[in-house]
This record gives sequence, structure tokens and C-alpha cells, in this order.
Amino acid sequence: MKEQKLTRRGFLSLGGGIAAMAVGAALLPRQLKALLQPVAVVKADDQVTGLAAAADLPANRYLLGTDGWAYMSPGTLIPPYHPDPWAPPPFTTYVFGLRDVTGLTPMQVEAQKGHVQISMPIIGINQETEYRIKLGNVGLLMRPDLVDSHSVHFHGFRNQTAYFDGEPMGSVSVPIGSSMMYYYKPHDPGTYMYHCHFEDTEHVHMGMTGVMYVRPIQNQSPLNPGERYAYNDGNGLTAYEREFAILLTDSWAKGHWDDTHIQVSDWSDFRADFWLMNGRVWPDTLAANGLGTDPVTGDLIAPPGHPELQYQPISSLIQVNAGDRVLLRLVNLGFDLPAMTLTGIKMRVVGKDATLLRGRDGTDLSYMSNTVFLGSGESVDAIFVAPPYQGPGAYDTYLLYNRSYGHLHNGGYSGYGGQMTEVRVFSAGTLPPQTEPNT
Amino acid sequence: MHPLPVLRTLQRALMLALVVALLTGGASTSFGQAMPSMPAPTSSNLVCATNPSGTFTLTAKVGSISVPDGNIVYMWGFALGDGPFQYPGPVLCVNQGDTVTVVLHNTLTEDVSIIFPGQVDVMVDGEPSQPVLDAGGNLVSLAKAAAAGGGSVTYSFVAREPGTYLYQSGTNPDKQVQMGLAGTLIVRPTVGADYVYNSADTRFKPDTEYLLFLSEIDPTMHQAVEQGLSFDMRNYHPRYWLINGRGFPDTLAPNFAPWLPNQPYSALERIHPYDPINNPLPMLNRFLSVGTFNYPFHAHGQHVRVIARDGRLLKGPLGEDLSYEKFTVTIGPGQTMDTLFRWGDPDRGIGYDIYGHAPTDPMLPGEFPGDHGVPLPVTVPSEQDQTTGMYYSGSPFLGAMGPMLPGMMTYNQCGEMYIIAHNHALQQIVAWDVTMSGMATYIRIDPPLPNMCP
Repeated sequence: MKEQKLTRRGFLSLGGGIAAMAVGAALLPRQLKALLQPVAVVKADDQVTGLAAAADLPANRYLLGTDGWAYMSPGTLIPPYHPDPWAPPPFTTYVFGLRDVTGLTPMQVEAQKGHVQISMPIIGINQETEYRIKLGNVGLLMRPDLVDSHSVHFHGFRNQTAYFDGEPMGSVSVPIGSSMMYYYKPHDPGTYMYHCHFEDTEHVHMGMTGVMYVRPIQNQSPLNPGERYAYNDGNGLTAYEREFAILLTDSWAKGHWDDTHIQVSDWSDFRADFWLMNGRVWPDTLAANGLGTDPVTGDLIAPPGHPELQYQPISSLIQVNAGDRVLLRLVNLGFDLPAMTLTGIKMRVVGKDATLLRGRDGTDLSYMSNTVFLGSGESVDAIFVAPPYQGPGAYDTYLLYNRSYGHLHNGGYSGYGGQMTEVRVFSAGTLPPQTEPNT
Repeated sequence: MHPLPVLRTLQRALMLALVVALLTGGASTSFGQAMPSMPAPTSSNLVCATNPSGTFTLTAKVGSISVPDGNIVYMWGFALGDGPFQYPGPVLCVNQGDTVTVVLHNTLTEDVSIIFPGQVDVMVDGEPSQPVLDAGGNLVSLAKAAAAGGGSVTYSFVAREPGTYLYQSGTNPDKQVQMGLAGTLIVRPTVGADYVYNSADTRFKPDTEYLLFLSEIDPTMHQAVEQGLSFDMRNYHPRYWLINGRGFPDTLAPNFAPWLPNQPYSALERIHPYDPINNPLPMLNRFLSVGTFNYPFHAHGQHVRVIARDGRLLKGPLGEDLSYEKFTVTIGPGQTMDTLFRWGDPDRGIGYDIYGHAPTDPMLPGEFPGDHGVPLPVTVPSEQDQTTGMYYSGSPFLGAMGPMLPGMMTYNQCGEMYIIAHNHALQQIVAWDVTMSGMATYIRIDPPLPNMCP
């Protein structure tokens, strides 16, 4: 590029921005000039107008980032942190999260500020299918002083680019009052997770976590009619009749209280007080699913008989028929390391981190176990066959729980708590086919 | 809009980066002689200390390191010979079959020894190295020690098996390893230095070999040791978590960064997109942990393939492939893991052109033909509606840069992508209450060559 002098007129006519950088480069010595010339220069206009057609496709899911309240073990006393004295009854704990506001009117969407759900919705998408998530940010009802942005990180997505990865320092995130569209075209089935990555230590801990999974294309040409699989196994190894996604997280009472009461948390002091499955502690893990969204208010409808679980709508109760093959999608986004044990029933661990356990040469690496250990940010796919029904009673009960007994309580309150749920086995043919996970 | 201040900031950042790169220079070299040279993409690559005779001298000495909240921490560490203090200890690189001799000089005020987990038949001063008991039968040290205040011992062993190994103090190890007396031993396989093990499927791209030595620090413990006070290890409570002795963002600084004189090793992992013809080999990450917690290390952007644990290739007795892919690898205290990573999908693509090409633009190496020229499938919000990061290029496309909001600066140099890799126990990516620090680094994906990247 010819050496030029930069004049004010020249600057103004170029309108600044990238063009100014290019011109400015001309003023530098040759070597440094080369460094300032990027490979390609993309002007913002190209992206807005030239791509309008492609960008008009609507979101498959509209998720709203905000705050809210959850319920965990009010009998536990961790003064002054738990129950949070500012929590509106019957709630105990301040949380952040995402709400699924797909299909709500704009007024209904705005009204969901402060009405988040934990855990975030379970999202299942099909391999080779485009999926768009629109992420909106309406700010925090309890903390108008915080200007936190949000992002969505599809944890484990292969070959992801920085723009759609959701890690705020290498990418973009969504400020209050804005939204952005995330695009995915997954090629790899399995169990993943999604979470906000903005100030992730805080936002993940406060509850912005959920399970994402990808269904294999083998579902479209099953080996047996109507069969569903966890992976493209080619041999039916990962076939199942029922699936249950269990998101494991934990909760530090002081950390949540700090955010309500405008304090700074020293995260190096982190120590969990509660351990959760799908946002609930035992025995609430057994309560039914919430009843969806109110068509007028857009707010969540609590599970029947459990108004306190209005914002924790995902059940962890596992109900199956004898002989069913049951897929457990276990995901850990807590900071602790649970060891999930299923007493009395052996599981076959068929996948870890959305990868079929199979060597590159086809060696079967799946294995039988009754305990799976999950580091933070890991997922495990385990399939068990429900044993024959024995009775008496409507069903046989088995326990799926965190074998780390020191964590099987609610903040020290007497009795069991934490990451535990029941597997209830009914006699064959009792329960109708499953249409949604965790039902 | 005032583009000039943005330009100045970018220029300044680039000038700094260039000066730094010029000062620090390149890859494997005789340790301690960082030769100034033109900036090379390998300035964060694993740095080996090598010696044709296989003899290394390690000096246990006092030093300090700089942590991301601005503090200085008193440390103990192994220096190479008469060289400067460093943490972690030097990366000793030898070849399979070499006889390795390690002479330990101890300048500290208590006895220090070295154990070599994973090595067999280690000798010390001519005798088999074994736990040392006192007259009453109490364990004094896991190996014969070099006496405090100037003593020496000599260890030797034959490095029989290739792999990634730790060496660490065997005397009061709960204290001494945490104080910094640990380092890396790499045994290169017979088939060649660009293989991890004696197996064709462990080949990696040599200038993309990266060390990830994971550790943690309890500064109150280090302060007690500095002041000669006792410390009850039941009160051990780490506040800093480190990769290669550095906390983010120092993990991104190059090897031998002058402002980190005692922490020579970078953790910035630089690669180009996978391309079966021009860039077919993966990058190698050698993980080691001297922590007290199982670190769940999560790389964004791609799975890693775990090919070996604790210096042993994951292959069955009949050659069966037992390697596996993970998006999060949990590394326990004292473990090592070898993982391979590559980014880019020429076979399946991602649904859009990651370079932002027009359909008539030439294809770049490694591109998926079906993606070429396909526009970004979403509308990018305007700058006012985005929060942008300090490493973002301003553009969703690899190799492109775009406008940032005025007042926002970026370290991005040439449209590269920064993909984070970090400990997913998120309370450990901190330094005390400073978040987004600690055990985190970036995988930097540069556009395919030729490019304008420094």
C-alpha cells in the first residue's frame, strides 16, 4: 500500500471503524503494517443486509436470562444465609437462570423478569438438524445495579467457532435489553449441557445450567420399529424405552445470599450446603413435573400440591415398567464430584461426554457398573434394564443417589437430602410409552 | 464515533505484543538460553531441558512467583543447575532407553529428596532408592534426601517407557510439593520425537506440543513457611489455581515472558485448523497434576482424545484401541494424561462458511466444500447490542476482524479465534475473590497459512 498521509478529511470520509484501521496501517513501518492487515475485512453492513434472508428464520427456542427464587429445605437453618430472609414465601434461595419463553407475547416475556426456572429446560435436538436458540436478557429483578450480560455455551459442541461458543472474553454475550441468535447444526449425538458462561463461576453456581442432548439419526431408521437410541451404535447397544436426564448441581447458601444482599462472594471459600438433581433437593426430587406455562401470565404452573416448586419444574422421579431399557443422562455442573450409585440394578455405561464408548477400531469400551463418578462438566450415558416386578405394592423401589454420603443431606438438616431419587419399577405394561424425558 | 483512540489502543497492544515476542523467541532450545529471534508461533510451545549425556543438576532453592491478583508468593522450587529459580521445575526431556542421572543440590533449610513416580529401579548414590526410616522405624522420607544447607545426592534410572511423568520431592511431600518442588519428565519414544508413544496413532505436530502442569497454592501456608512458623495442614485451603505455575491471564503470556521471570512456561495453545493435507496432525497436551483435588479440565471447541494415562498408552494386549474422547478430562492428584486435539471439520462442516467467504472466493485448506460461501445463518447484532470480549476479533469469521464498540479494546491480532480451556470446578478459576483467573488458558486458532498473524 502506498504511503499516505492521513488527513482529517480522509478519516471522516472513511467513517472510521475498520477502514480507519486499514488507513492507519499505512502510517506504520512496513513490518508492522503487515501485521495490522487482517486476512479479510468484514463490514458490519454485510452481515445485516446481505444475509437478511438467512437470518429471518425464527428461533426454535427463545430463552430469557433473568433471576428468581427457588425452594430448598426451609427446615435447614444456616443463619443468616438460609433461608434467605428476603425470599418471598415459600421460597428460600435466590437464583439466576433461563426461562423458556418460546411463543410468549413480548409483554409476557417482559413479565418473566424475576421468574426464572432452575434447572433450565431440558433441550433435545436432532442430529443433522439446524437449531436456533434466541437468548434474551431482561436484567435482574433483585439487582438493578448489576449489568451482567448472559450467553449460552453449548458445552461439548464439536468444532465450535468463537462466535457461537458463548465464552464472553473470546466472543460476544448479550447485554440487558438485547438478544442474539445462536445457531447449531450438531453432527454428534449424545448428552451435553448448556450454561451461561458470562462470569461463569457466579452464573453457573446461581443456577444457569441445563441438559442438552442430541438424538442420533439412527432414530430415523431404527433396527426395530419405533426404537430409540442414545448413539448411532449400529447394533442396538444403546437402545432404550425411557430416558431421564439428571442434572447434578450444588448450592452454597452464602453465595446465593451474597447476590441478593449485594455482597461480593469469595469463590475460593466455596463450600456446598445443598446438592441438587434438576434443581431440587431430596425429597422434592420425587415430586411431579410442573404443569407448563400459564397462557395468560406466561408464568410457570407449579406441580400439583407443590406451590413451592413452581420455579423448579423438572422432576427426577424415574418410573419404568419391568423389562424397560432405561437411559440415564447424567450431567454434572456442580463444583463437587458426585458418585451416582444405583443400588440393586447394574447399569451399562455406554457413553461419556457425548461419545459412544467404542475404540477407533470398534473395540467395545462400554462397561457394567452400579456407580458412575462425574467430574464437573462431564456427562455419562448409562442404560439399565428394569428388573422383573416383585411386589407387593404398586411398584418396587430402588434408589439412585450420590454415594458421597457426606453430601446426602440438606445443609446438615437431619435425615436424608441432596442428590437422591427413586427408581420405581412397575409390572410390565403398566405405564404408557414415554413421550418426553423425565415423565 | 472516534476511531482514533481505538486505533491507538490497538497499535499499542500490537507494539507490545511484537516487542514481547521479539524478546522471548522460540521453541526447544538449551534451557536458559532463550535466543532473541523473530516472533515464532511456538513461543508458547513446551520447552525442554535436554542434555546429551542424560545428566541434569537440580538445585532446590527459594524463590517467588507472581499471581494474578497482584500478589507475590514465596516458593520453593527446582532450578536447573546454577540457573534462576523457576516454578514448576524444568521439563527434563530424555529418550526411551536413556540412563537418566539427576544430581540434587539442596540449598533449603530442610532435607529434600526426589521421587520419580512411574520409573522403576531408581538408584540413589548407588543404592536402590527406597523409603528412609529412622532408628525407631518411623518414616522419614520416601527417598534418600540431600541434606539441608548444601547437601547433594545423585539419582539415576533407565527411562524404559515413553510418556509424561512427574518428579517431585519425597521428603515432607505434603508440604514440599505444595511449596513448589515438582516438575515434569518427558520420555520420548524410540520411534521418534514427534510421537508420544511407540504407536503410529500417537503422532502429533511437534510445534504444537503443550505442557499443562496443574497445581494450587495456599498462600497462608507459604507465608508460614517463609516466616519459619509451623502450619497445620488441616487448615490447608488453596486460593490460587495455576497452569504451569501461572494464573490466567498470565497463562497466555509467552515462554520466558520478562514480567514473569520465575514462571517461564506458557500455557497458550496455538494451532491452525485441521486439514488432511497441509495440517493433518493433532496438537498434544501433556497434563500433570500436583494438586489435592480432581481437576475436571474442560476444553471448549472440541473433544480431546485421551491416548494415555500415567505414562501408559491406552491399548489392549492385542493392540485394541482403548483411547477415548472427552470434553472434560478429570485429572486426579499425581496423575498424568496425554491428549490429542484438533479443530476443524473438513468432512462434515458446521453449516456456514467460517471464513465468511463469498461463493466465488477460493477455498482455504481444510474447508468443508458444502459450507463454502454459505452465509452466517443468523443476524449479528449491532455493536451497541453486544458485549464483546477482550480477545474477540469483532467478527464471527476466522481470519476476519470487525468493528468493536468505541472504548472496547481487543488483544485480537489477525482474526484468530480464542477458545477457552479451563478447570470446570469453577470455584478454582479464581484468585481469592478475583474471578476469571486461575486455572484457565486459551486455545488460539489462527487462520490457515499463509496468514498475517504475528
